[in-house]
Amino acid sequence: MASVELKGLGKRYGATVAVDNVSLRIEHGQLVCLLGPSGCGKTTTLRLIAGFMEPSAGEIVVGGKSLSTVKRTVPPEGRNMSMIFQSYALWPHMTVAENVAYGLRIRKMDAATIAAKLKAILSTTRLEALAERYPGELSGGQQQRVSLARALVVEPETLLLDEPLSNLDTNLREEMRFEIRRLHDQYRYTTVYVTHDQAEAMTTADLIAVMNKGRIEQLGTPQDIYDRPRSAFVARFIGGSNILGGKAVDGERIAVGGATLRTTGRPLTVGETVAVSIRQHDIELLTAAPVGGDNVLHATVRRGVFLGAARDYTVMLDDKSELRATVSADLDVTVGQDVWLRLPAAKCRALMEGPEA
Amino acid sequence: MTLRRPDLSQPLMLLVAALLVLMIVLPMGWLVVYSFSDKAGNPTLENFVRLFTDPDFLDPLITTLIIAFSTSAACCVVAAPLGWLVARTDMPLARTFRVLVMASLVTPPFVGAIAWEMLAAPNSGLLNQLWRAVTGAPSDEALFDIYTLTGLIFTIACYTFPYVFILVANSLDRMPGELEDASSMLGAGTWTTARRITIPLAMPTLLAGALIAFLQALNTFGSPAILAIPAGFHTLTTKIWSLFEFPPKVELAAASSLPLLVLTIVLLRVQLLVLGRRGYAVLGGKYGAPRLIRLGKWRIPVATAAMLVLSLPLFLPYAALLNTAFSPVSSQLVTPATFTLRNFYFTFTELSSTMPALKNTLILAALSATLGGLLALLISYIVARQAIRGWKVLGFLATAPLAIPGIVLGVGLFLAYTRPPLTLYGTIWILLIAFITIELPAAYQQFRSAFHAVHPELEEAGRMLGATRLRTLWDITGPLLRASVVATWCFVFVGVIRELSAAVILFTSETKVVAVLIFDLKESGDVGAIAVLSLTIVAITTVVIVIASRLSIGRDAVRLRTIAGG
Repeated sequence: MASVELKGLGKRYGATVAVDNVSLRIEHGQLVCLLGPSGCGKTTTLRLIAGFMEPSAGEIVVGGKSLSTVKRTVPPEGRNMSMIFQSYALWPHMTVAENVAYGLRIRKMDAATIAAKLKAILSTTRLEALAERYPGELSGGQQQRVSLARALVVEPETLLLDEPLSNLDTNLREEMRFEIRRLHDQYRYTTVYVTHDQAEAMTTADLIAVMNKGRIEQLGTPQDIYDRPRSAFVARFIGGSNILGGKAVDGERIAVGGATLRTTGRPLTVGETVAVSIRQHDIELLTAAPVGGDNVLHATVRRGVFLGAARDYTVMLDDKSELRATVSADLDVTVGQDVWLRLPAAKCRALMEGPEA
Repeated sequence: MTLRRPDLSQPLMLLVAALLVLMIVLPMGWLVVYSFSDKAGNPTLENFVRLFTDPDFLDPLITTLIIAFSTSAACCVVAAPLGWLVARTDMPLARTFRVLVMASLVTPPFVGAIAWEMLAAPNSGLLNQLWRAVTGAPSDEALFDIYTLTGLIFTIACYTFPYVFILVANSLDRMPGELEDASSMLGAGTWTTARRITIPLAMPTLLAGALIAFLQALNTFGSPAILAIPAGFHTLTTKIWSLFEFPPKVELAAASSLPLLVLTIVLLRVQLLVLGRRGYAVLGGKYGAPRLIRLGKWRIPVATAAMLVLSLPLFLPYAALLNTAFSPVSSQLVTPATFTLRNFYFTFTELSSTMPALKNTLILAALSATLGGLLALLISYIVARQAIRGWKVLGFLATAPLAIPGIVLGVGLFLAYTRPPLTLYGTIWILLIAFITIELPAAYQQFRSAFHAVHPELEEAGRMLGATRLRTLWDITGPLLRASVVATWCFVFVGVIRELSAAVILFTSETKVVAVLIFDLKESGDVGAIAVLSLTIVAITTVVIVIASRLSIGRDAVRLRTIAGG
């Protein structure tokens, strides 16, 4: 059993803090995505786990053994982990077969075992026909599969992936997402997957840790993160969300744009400034003022874009703030027209911090 | 299209082609013709029969090959570990070390050879005197004798190993660190990774470096002329030079030049093949910087050893040169009491040939840098944008001189231009042609890579807005290339100042350059003046290089990089 545990992990470069007090427990066989924009500290966290860097604070424990502390770091070669690099890092002077078998040779296995394992993994990753080619003669997707095969064949306790799909074109990227998930389900290694692409994280991960400024902003299942963002950063980063700012008038309602909105997510304190997120496609657009009903805001259409399957409207509220709403393609409204927005209370998430966070 | 200007590209192409023919094709053509002719001009193979049977020619040929092989091996043995230390370990002073290696690279090899004479001549050599003083050995015993084959190989290697070092270090710098990281992740320790990944990947570069060292040693003239002739033997280059002594035997000189030419061409092809296979630069993706190997308690000893190696091409020779320049007697160490500026006074006021030589050198260097730079710029633009038909031929001709050793070019130009219709021998122009030809490939390649970095779309955007091709070149490409232009100009300037092997064939008393003057002063034994002039060359070179790096590397290079990257 190899769970991976990060305890108060930190990495500083002089005055810059790359990773700040990150704590995370990854159970055996789980696939966790570290998701965030570039510079959020996700790759540094991964390289700390790999042992390429020493932490400046905290500890990394894998399978009950402490691998990294401020004082002592087990080198990468002593960790029984595998890593898939953004550049694939295939050795250009070795064939596909030599690349894949390298880790087995390092482990001093006998020739028969190596041949058997090699054959099995090349067949799993559909690379048998390419075994004698050099990396320079392969397409991007094939190189990616070689790097997967090379990492998996040594049966690591832990698998690390660093933006593995960012060098592939869109179609191939979608295919490889499912491929990675399929291979994970087959082998069930404890896996840490770094990406800045939320769709990639959604399709592959058991758990997503959204990172920002060196910290984990929110940890949860893909659905958790999507449906119940806790901060404005997470709400904006995962799917398109509108963020509305208002003042709490009671335990669950805020005043915004001359109306009141009922929210969910957390109890409010009267008078506090609250940021509320609502997804673009959760907003209902009405061309006539509804009779009664809660959570309705008046607005004017500023811009409409026909997207084929839907229409995307930018509207301005009475307090001059702008919202975007994605609605049915049948609903055609001209610019300048008055509209009414219905924001379902269950979809209005009150976030943890102020509107600008 | 109402205002269509006349198309100048075709005449321009012809002009450039004609120039290249005059510079390269004609001299090499005459070289071949002469080598197959007897004195009367009748076709014969007699020259080659003599070349490969007469010990007068066969011995230099064999000596040259021995020197080339030994130099190449010595350079690899020294340069490869040093390159690795500097690029891949946390050795202290690594940056300083690189700068110092560059400094030994800009030292003209014949200056180094002269300095090593001062250090290790059997009797007067400073190191030998020191050894006798320490051990009490009798005055006819010497620890080192620089006038030997070993001494010559050592001296050539001193000024050749920087090429190998720079190649290896650069290749290790560019080698993606992730290739080694991937090996570590799979359980390989530091040494296994070095053996299985790093060294195999660096091997092609090392081989290419070995070939370059081989070629340098094969074609060098200065060091053997200074060290081998007093020792009583010849290399092929000094043999060729000696054939120009009265009465000149130009047919034999031409025939002796051909093996150098052919061998150089063949080895350059081999080098291309070696570097072309399994290139790792082709694999895409973003790569991180390599992790440095920790030397731990070996840091200080290793850095000290590296600096000791540098004392051979750098610290010791310069100490000897400075000593000679400021001392009344070169074989004695200068003291505050004997310190004198007499040598400087003598060189710059009494020695009548100094000022004309200095003037010739600077004029030739500036002209070669300006005209050669323009020619290279023009050709590289035509090739980079495939502007006119026949661009491939131009590109080939511009790189061809790379395969022509300096002394061979000297012989070819001599043969081609001592005759009508273009009797250039005896004028400064024949030297100008020689220098431009020698420097053209480097300048051309510099501009080629610069054009590579300026995306054609930047020019196309200008032309879409109504600018002509020349206008975009002036407004857009030119400013972006400024760093490269400055760097190339300085590069050629420095190259010309230190050139000896072609000049020594082509000079006359009216057209002496400083390098030739130093070589001449050897005969009269004016070591003080030699030291002063050598230091002058090095000083000019250093100033130009410092100015170049201040002007170009600092600002423009960064700008160009952001544009190329973004």
